[in-house]
Amino acid sequence: MTRHLTPARIGIYAFLIISAAFFLIPFFVIVTTSLKTVDEIRGGSIFELPQALDFSAWTKAWGTACIGRDCAGISPGFFNSVKIMVLSTGISLFVAALNGFALAQWRVPHDGKILAMLLLGAFLPYQVMLYPLVRMFSIAGINQSLAGVVLVHVLFGLPILILIFRNFYISLPAELIKAARVDGAGFFQTFFRIVLPMSVNVIIVAAILSVTGVWNDYLLGLIFAGRENLPMTVALAGLVGTQIGVPEYNVNMAATLITALPPLLLYLASGRYFVRGVTAGAVKG
Amino acid sequence: MTTVQLNKLSRYYGTYHALRDVSLSVQSGEFIVLLGPSGCGKSTLLSAIAGLDDLQGGQVLLDNQDVTKQEPSRRNIGMVFQSYALYPTMTARQNLSFGLEVARTPKAEINQRVEWAAQVLQLTPLLNRKPGQLSGGQRQRVAIGRALVRKSNLFLFDEPLSNLDAKLRTEMRVEIKALHERLGATFIYVTHDQIEAMTLASKIAVMRSGVIEQFGPPEELYDRPASLFVADFLGSPSMNQLAGTLRVEDGRVFVEHAGGRSEVTGYPFAAPPKDGLEVVLGLRPEQLSIGEGGGAGRLTVRLLLIEPLGADSLAWCEVGGQRMSVRVPPALARSLSGELPVSFAPATVSLFDKTIGHRL
Repeated sequence: MTRHLTPARIGIYAFLIISAAFFLIPFFVIVTTSLKTVDEIRGGSIFELPQALDFSAWTKAWGTACIGRDCAGISPGFFNSVKIMVLSTGISLFVAALNGFALAQWRVPHDGKILAMLLLGAFLPYQVMLYPLVRMFSIAGINQSLAGVVLVHVLFGLPILILIFRNFYISLPAELIKAARVDGAGFFQTFFRIVLPMSVNVIIVAAILSVTGVWNDYLLGLIFAGRENLPMTVALAGLVGTQIGVPEYNVNMAATLITALPPLLLYLASGRYFVRGVTAGAVKG
Repeated sequence: MTTVQLNKLSRYYGTYHALRDVSLSVQSGEFIVLLGPSGCGKSTLLSAIAGLDDLQGGQVLLDNQDVTKQEPSRRNIGMVFQSYALYPTMTARQNLSFGLEVARTPKAEINQRVEWAAQVLQLTPLLNRKPGQLSGGQRQRVAIGRALVRKSNLFLFDEPLSNLDAKLRTEMRVEIKALHERLGATFIYVTHDQIEAMTLASKIAVMRSGVIEQFGPPEELYDRPASLFVADFLGSPSMNQLAGTLRVEDGRVFVEHAGGRSEVTGYPFAAPPKDGLEVVLGLRPEQLSIGEGGGAGRLTVRLLLIEPLGADSLAWCEVGGQRMSVRVPPALARSLSGELPVSFAPATVSLFDKTIGHRL
């Protein structure tokens, strides 16, 4: 293949480089600032490189920075986020896979209507349901608790995850399920022994969507988690918003980076699946 | 040993009537082929026997037991699907043993049955492979094996050979027939391929838009088709059809058609022939012979072309604007040309009422 540097090609590259720079410059500022000392930040331009690699802001953000009166950094928030994420994603994936399979391959009465309602659920902004949910949770006694925040994440994550699983399972040959019925396997045996082992790809896709959604959430964590289980995003907002005295930009930037790192690594490690997941939701609906 | 008795099965898909009061009686050990064009309801009928599809009416009796409401697994059937439907994440061995594991069969017995089925189907060296590592014919054998290990006496096949290439199809056809003889079980086999049907079946049920048109041994369907549809569907090339009018004169019967007049006296009419009835004269290519020695029925045809098939040749002719084929020995075929006299024995041919399509 020969490559010609035509004007059109130059234009395309120029556009790509400018777009990349547009998104990379803020990232560059965050990374460099987190490595500077407070004095350096105050003295120089934000585009200047740090004079020395200084990770003290990172350790402070992680372990000793004060959020309100608590001086434990954002690490408790990190572990809270991990707890919420593992539970929410695990439960959502399991329930969504089961439901998607039932809707796609089992004879469910009114499955079309159920699907339409799920679609509605996937596109309805969840803010409108916050107040009723808070009331319902407080009546049920799970408001401001880990169970509450996990439940609300599962509920809001389910519609889109069920759709992804259903769209995958609808493409399985119906004869496979019939063969399992002739073999005497019931719903759960068919699901666990035949369907689930075939679902590795779609589980990865759904897990990525669910993990990033839960990890990046701020509002639900703030409202439903309670003081003991506040996720990392809320801790970060607290850290950045409530400092007294000279703003420690380097600590703020470091805390932001630590918070953003897990989904970032997930994207980098599994971008291939992520793209597939986005199209899985988009192509068939 | 299993007998199958279907009583007035009825199945709707929405407003579409897929099965219309289908009744069928299958003796133990028979090889039944359900034959018909796509959409005729043959697969639906098989699903009904298997219990995979709910019925809106009728009864399914296996060994005189009403199983209409029972799940497929309780009917003790083995089923082979068109797409094989092997479990892709399991090895061939796991595919074979899955049904037995679900039924909580003891381990030793599972192993013994899997080994037996693998040996019958020559699968033993392939048992640890996954379906993706097997060829089409091998997958088909695993699918049959899955039915085999259940030791059922009723095997259902849903177009099992249609995904195979022509050569493999012929081989598997022979294997399935051999398997039937070896097991002595009842086989019900769905296909749209009339050659498969003719070669395999002890009885064929020809289906058309949800009803069984004719049910009988292959020779009977071929020689005495009950309707124009069956006559047309069985046989390659299909039966020659000459439309005409029936004439009854002094105890002799003729068909007046576009190419003249042919005598059919001696045809075994089910009811006394009526003068003036619109009929179709059905003639198999091998029921016609060149010259006047074939019988009392006469036709004059004009030769169009010769198609040599090896063992014999087809002479394509035209009579009164209607194309006909005549099966002739290759040596004779080479000497033919122009206008030819053709004769047939009226006792062996078929006559149909043109308006309702039924055999007279």
